[in-house]
Amino acid sequence: MKVLKLIDTFLEKISSWVLVASVFAMLSFSVLNIILRWMNTTIHWVEPLVRHLVFLATFLGGVLATGRGTHIGIDILGKWCETNKKVEVHRWITRIIALASFLTLLWLFKSSVDFAKVELEFGKPVFWGISSGYLVGIIPVGFIMIAYRFLFIFISSFCSPREHENSVVDESVAGG
Amino acid sequence: MAGLAAGIGLFLLAILGTPLFIVIGLASLVAFTFSGIEVSAVAIELYRISSAPTLLTIPLFTFAGYMMAESGSPRRLLKLTEACLGWIPGGVAIVGLVVCAFFTAFTGASGVTIIALGGLLYPILTNEGYTEKFSLGLITTSGSLGLLFPPSLPIILYGLIAKVDIDKLFLAGILPGILLIAILAGYSVFSCKVKISRKKFSTTEVVSAFKGAWPEFLLPIGVLTGIYGGFTTPSEAAACTAAYIFIIEVFWYKDLSITKDIPRIVRDSMALVGGILLILCCALGFTNWLVDEEVPMIIFEHMRTFIDNKYTFLIFLNIFLLIVGSMMDIFSAIIVVVPLIIPIANEFGIDPIHLAIIFLTNLEIGYITPPVGINLFISSFRFKKPVTELYSATIPFLLLMLVALIIITYVPVLSLGLID
Repeated sequence: MKVLKLIDTFLEKISSWVLVASVFAMLSFSVLNIILRWMNTTIHWVEPLVRHLVFLATFLGGVLATGRGTHIGIDILGKWCETNKKVEVHRWITRIIALASFLTLLWLFKSSVDFAKVELEFGKPVFWGISSGYLVGIIPVGFIMIAYRFLFIFISSFCSPREHENSVVDESVAGG
Repeated sequence: MAGLAAGIGLFLLAILGTPLFIVIGLASLVAFTFSGIEVSAVAIELYRISSAPTLLTIPLFTFAGYMMAESGSPRRLLKLTEACLGWIPGGVAIVGLVVCAFFTAFTGASGVTIIALGGLLYPILTNEGYTEKFSLGLITTSGSLGLLFPPSLPIILYGLIAKVDIDKLFLAGILPGILLIAILAGYSVFSCKVKISRKKFSTTEVVSAFKGAWPEFLLPIGVLTGIYGGFTTPSEAAACTAAYIFIIEVFWYKDLSITKDIPRIVRDSMALVGGILLILCCALGFTNWLVDEEVPMIIFEHMRTFIDNKYTFLIFLNIFLLIVGSMMDIFSAIIVVVPLIIPIANEFGIDPIHLAIIFLTNLEIGYITPPVGINLFISSFRFKKPVTELYSATIPFLLLMLVALIIITYVPVLSLGLID
């Protein structure tokens, strides 16, 4: 369990730092491009780079949202359980959600690996000579990271209540 | 039969509270499998989002909004608006409405407004003599009030999904947004039975408050001038806004620490952005499958049997969207429902821009519609009040917003006037 927790914390930390770097990179490059445009100059690789940084940020943001339990969902039953203090029912709901999410993400991972394989074979360079095959790799890597976190939530829900409390998916208020 | 079982399974997962991107992703995988299409098509569709030119606006405007919410900006803007409008009868309530609308436009109605401003506004309103019920109702309603103003995140998302010009949508939302504020402001002025103390207007106070808040106060004007003056695209405006807010909050006001606060704000804002964009990514495949299977047209044909004109359709649409708005989060509602509604509304001859404003107004009202309007729960959490108390506090505001909705729906010039 300790190792699983360690991996989960590592994913959280790495995602956080890459996210901070990505946001500042997209911000700096976009502003740079605007300034250059005023001087009638354009760096052509900036736009695709920034768009792929947003794409990367999407998955890394998803990794963080999974850990915090802030993914957007129609949490009618969860809210009802919270209001009526149905702790055990809520725990089982969490388990079902985590397991279903993990399995779905594995399927999505498989579908994106298939796509990445095709792109690696037939893809074209997008910027800096990087083939779209490598950029598409963001999708399976992102999905497998999120999948791991759901798996961790599922497993930790069977551990001590305190550990479970730390990982439980109990909020659907995005950003709140 | 297998399709029906899959549908029921997905529905159950959704109401259990499974993240919507999982539900929609699974729906895409199942739909493609049943149609005999390789599931890698889901990933192909998903990757399409990386070519959307306005994609950058979503993370950058959200980041800017979160920085503002975490800084001393709410306090400064509240002071300025209070100095400008506090002398009007019901002025403090109007201040609350205006400041919340301003903030929601930047934070995208994600609950941040109630969290950031609620704590400041609530004691001001109650100290001024407003009842607790009125104050709670006003703050809860205001949490989504600026949703129609640029550069609100739901407008950008709608434009992205519906392939409608975002700059046109920004313009279209202004008058209906003002109407909503005006109606609620009117209620604050005339319907509040308690004797509210009125402040005297003081030019010195206004000048002093303006000196403190002008960099933030001028921001919306800067964004609009940038876009409509032809100086920047919406994406560039987002980059400029985020860079500007970053500089003023970190280096000018020194409200935020670059090492302590900014990384946390990036994480908080990107967790929201990730949640929204993952739904969008997964929905691209599913909505394309729905369109390929001509589902919107099938729905339209069925509707034609009992709805024969655009006005009846609009009534139906409003009822449907109010239900959707009270059950679903605005971002997922836009992503899931818009692709289905647009072809049908098009057949009934409804202008896509007008449709966008109707759609967003409905969802704005959905935020405070019982039983599960999200603002009700955020306020309940923020003010430690039972959610049932919030239901009764928001009902007068809800009814007034429904009146505004009827006007917005049946007076299209309100949405299209500025564009024409």
